Amino acid sequence: MADQLSLTVNGAKQVVSATPETPLLYVLRNDLKLTGPRFGCGLAQCGACAVLVDGKEVRSCITPVAAVTGKQVTTIEGLPGLWAAAQGHPENATPLHPVQQALHPVQQAWIDEQVPQCGYCQSGMMIAAVQLLANNANPTVDQIKDAFTNTPPSPHLCRCGTYGAIIDAVQRAARAMAPVAK
Amino acid sequence: MIPKPEAANLSFPAVEITRRSFVKAGGALFVSMTMLSRASAGAAESKPPATATPIGAWIELRSDNTILVRTGRTEIGTGMSGFYSQVVAEELNIRPETITLIMGDTDRTFDGGYSAGFLSGAANLRKVSAYTYQALLALAAKQLGVPGTALTVENGVVSAAGKRISYGELVQGQQLDLKIPVTGKPAQWAPPGVTNIAGLDWGGMDGLVVAGDPPLKPVSQYKVVGTSFPMPVIPDKVTGKTQWSCDVVLPGMLHARMVRPATLGSTLISAGEVDKKQFPTAAVVSKGNLVAVVSPREWEAVAAVHSVATHTKWTEWSGLPGSENLTKSLRAHRWGPPDQSRGDVAEVTTAFAKATNTLSLSYEQPYVKHAPIGPFVAVADVRSDGAVTVWTHSAHAQALRARMANMLGTTVDKVVVRCLEHAGQFGRTTFGGDGAEADAVVLSQLTGKPVRVQWTLQEDLAWSAASPGWIADIKGALDSQGHLIAVHSAFYSPKMMDARPLGAILAGMPAGTTSGKGGGFLATEWPYDKIACRLEQVHARENIGAESPFGGVRGLIMRTPGQRQQNFVLEAMMNEAAAAGKVDPIQFRLEHTTDPRLAAVLHATAKAADWETRPSPSPAANRSGGQAVHGHGVCIMIRAGAYWAGIAEIVVTPSSGAVQVTRFTLGVECGKIINPRQLERCMKGGVVMGLGEALKEEMTFDSGKVTSTDWTRYKILTMQEMPEIRIVQISRDDKESGGGGEAPNALVPAAVAAAFFDATGVAPRRIPLTPAYVGPLLKG
Repeated sequence: MADQLSLTVNGAKQVVSATPETPLLYVLRNDLKLTGPRFGCGLAQCGACAVLVDGKEVRSCITPVAAVTGKQVTTIEGLPGLWAAAQGHPENATPLHPVQQALHPVQQAWIDEQVPQCGYCQSGMMIAAVQLLANNANPTVDQIKDAFTNTPPSPHLCRCGTYGAIIDAVQRAARAMAPVAK
Repeated sequence: MIPKPEAANLSFPAVEITRRSFVKAGGALFVSMTMLSRASAGAAESKPPATATPIGAWIELRSDNTILVRTGRTEIGTGMSGFYSQVVAEELNIRPETITLIMGDTDRTFDGGYSAGFLSGAANLRKVSAYTYQALLALAAKQLGVPGTALTVENGVVSAAGKRISYGELVQGQQLDLKIPVTGKPAQWAPPGVTNIAGLDWGGMDGLVVAGDPPLKPVSQYKVVGTSFPMPVIPDKVTGKTQWSCDVVLPGMLHARMVRPATLGSTLISAGEVDKKQFPTAAVVSKGNLVAVVSPREWEAVAAVHSVATHTKWTEWSGLPGSENLTKSLRAHRWGPPDQSRGDVAEVTTAFAKATNTLSLSYEQPYVKHAPIGPFVAVADVRSDGAVTVWTHSAHAQALRARMANMLGTTVDKVVVRCLEHAGQFGRTTFGGDGAEADAVVLSQLTGKPVRVQWTLQEDLAWSAASPGWIADIKGALDSQGHLIAVHSAFYSPKMMDARPLGAILAGMPAGTTSGKGGGFLATEWPYDKIACRLEQVHARENIGAESPFGGVRGLIMRTPGQRQQNFVLEAMMNEAAAAGKVDPIQFRLEHTTDPRLAAVLHATAKAADWETRPSPSPAANRSGGQAVHGHGVCIMIRAGAYWAGIAEIVVTPSSGAVQVTRFTLGVECGKIINPRQLERCMKGGVVMGLGEALKEEMTFDSGKVTSTDWTRYKILTMQEMPEIRIVQISRDDKESGGGGEAPNALVPAAVAAAFFDATGVAPRRIPLTPAYVGPLLKG
């Protein structure tokens, strides 16, 4: 039977009614109307559903919602808020559905490098990029390829073949996120 | 193709703006269509016929200087939403940012046409814009009191003799109409006796076509076309604002998951039941062999479907040869006369009789999948009054509409298709068939509620149509100098036009036909004019497993269809012929063509790749040992007004059979490049897709079902496997735009195969070059 579960999504506390084993993806998309993460395979094999949980990428298609109660979940809709908070502007980290916020540098880089073709996988790609840049502020091409291919549980797959643009965008975002020397 | 511009043309009908009414606020010019009767279509009409009826607005130019453009074509991830804006902006002398596009929706766009026909769609909008531009000039001339010839236009502002007026001001306070003559028809179901393609009337594939020849801006004066205008849909996709087809939610909507037959031919014995204690709001719904679990809660449907599937009983069926026996099975098939043939049998026979040397080669490829990252999904709402609305993504909305109407035995006016974004389909929705729409329509009809059907990945890889496996034989006749004097190719494949929707097939409803035009089709555009003597033949057969009640493995076109496969065969043979004569493979190609455009792109691509001129195989070639060996290889192609060259550089480790592509250089000359940056994206993406096909992709199946049903078993290229990709673009201000976005994938496999030969001295006769194939091949 459905339980009342509370979780924090994009900075806002949410209470949802769901059976504990319901994968987070369905809660985000159907209950919270956050459609950034998408259903790709349901098997944690492609990355289209990736979100951040306490800053670490998880595949929401196989993660039970009960496993993220009390944790911070971030979707691409919450990346501007995440960036605002990281910049020390928590007041700008408006929750859930941001209205007017500066984009996360990763999102801006994705626009500047014109990364998406069909774009179906790109929400997950941006989540992977945010996690990579949190661990490695200035990744090389080989490190980016390694991160997007060999980080468990599976490679992030793109059928349109935007891998090259993703690499360029990650490096552009890295430059934008670098602290300015004073 | 976009027609050639003509400064003055007698067949430019005088279309005039008429005033419908005055309005207090706003104002707009509505550019709509007038159907010309077939008899008058080609004639020099001074006016559209009096009986003509307006069809619907194509362009709305508003008093606030914004423009709404409608096109029946849809964005399929290649950037067409941007290109159409550029084409319209160019002819109207406005900025593309002022344009909003409505694409695909059958109730809001009227011209139809399939998205693979981008060039014809662009030609239409270019002409519509050219007509509109002339009408606006006439309006401005009147308003400003100056002759039309004195006017100049920049960014939507008309100027003459120190006076200025914007397009918006020209329409302020009025409702104006402009009617553009059109011919043709949107996609429709082929009536008996009419040539059909995948069940559709062949004449409607391109939709409505603008008639007449309004003066077009010369390519040499382009300012917007040729620039890297950003793709308008990208920001919303990056921020999460885009509404995708998978995001559609309707009041009272049910979520469905399908229970598919145990094999491609198993029929239903009995459907399992839902455990109501565990899944109180889920239910099983079925019609014929179409079985589904529906629930208002998506996860409940997902959770319930597993136990229902376990308890659903199907008949046994085994009618597939098994993928390991595919080639043998295709070889054993009794192929009839060719479906299509080009060339003269007697001439080729004579040429072969005169040959000093002949090559006789055979190639093969297994079935491959379109394999989008997002499986099929659709929402349908079938109302009790017979009105049907489908929300989905399709490369051919009007064809899908016609197909759904045919399935339901109703008329197209009852069906609306709304198009939204989805994962790239790479050709499988070109005929508006393959997809989840039929499932959703049937289930909505049965439940009386809107239904959303989400296929799983396993279901998509097992049950969607596939690009058929094939075999081919090609022979080359060489003279004493080692030049090819004749070529005879024969290509054998199951048909690739089976767009019957699975839901209709399983539910036992009218699904259409697998016959019709293009079952087997010649797709090569011949690049070698110095080999004047050739015979090309294409043989087609029914689907493998066609005896199944569901028709077996449905064969369907995929990106660069036919030519991808047939050009591979030709180019693989060219590489082997060059090696036979100990001639550098680029040099060998240049010796067999006089086409300057082809030569130019070959030279430019070779330069960018730092091509080392020498015959293959490489002097260091080695087929054994653990030492890595290096090789390079080339492939060319002509398609849709574009000239291509691809060069692969690879490393092979003979002992392990590992093949790694280290660099790929792709060059194109496609006339005037519309958008260099978006073309580069399509080129690089196509290389990635082509590398998957060259190295990894194979749909496997046993005697009854597809077995490559997830990403660990149907393997596509990963980021780490992507090599350095160099791009060469040659844009021509003296040539109309050719097709650039589609073809890059087709350049890759033959170049990689040639590089493998260069590295090892062993010519592959099959793709993909997996270790399982390459290992035994090298051991001989």
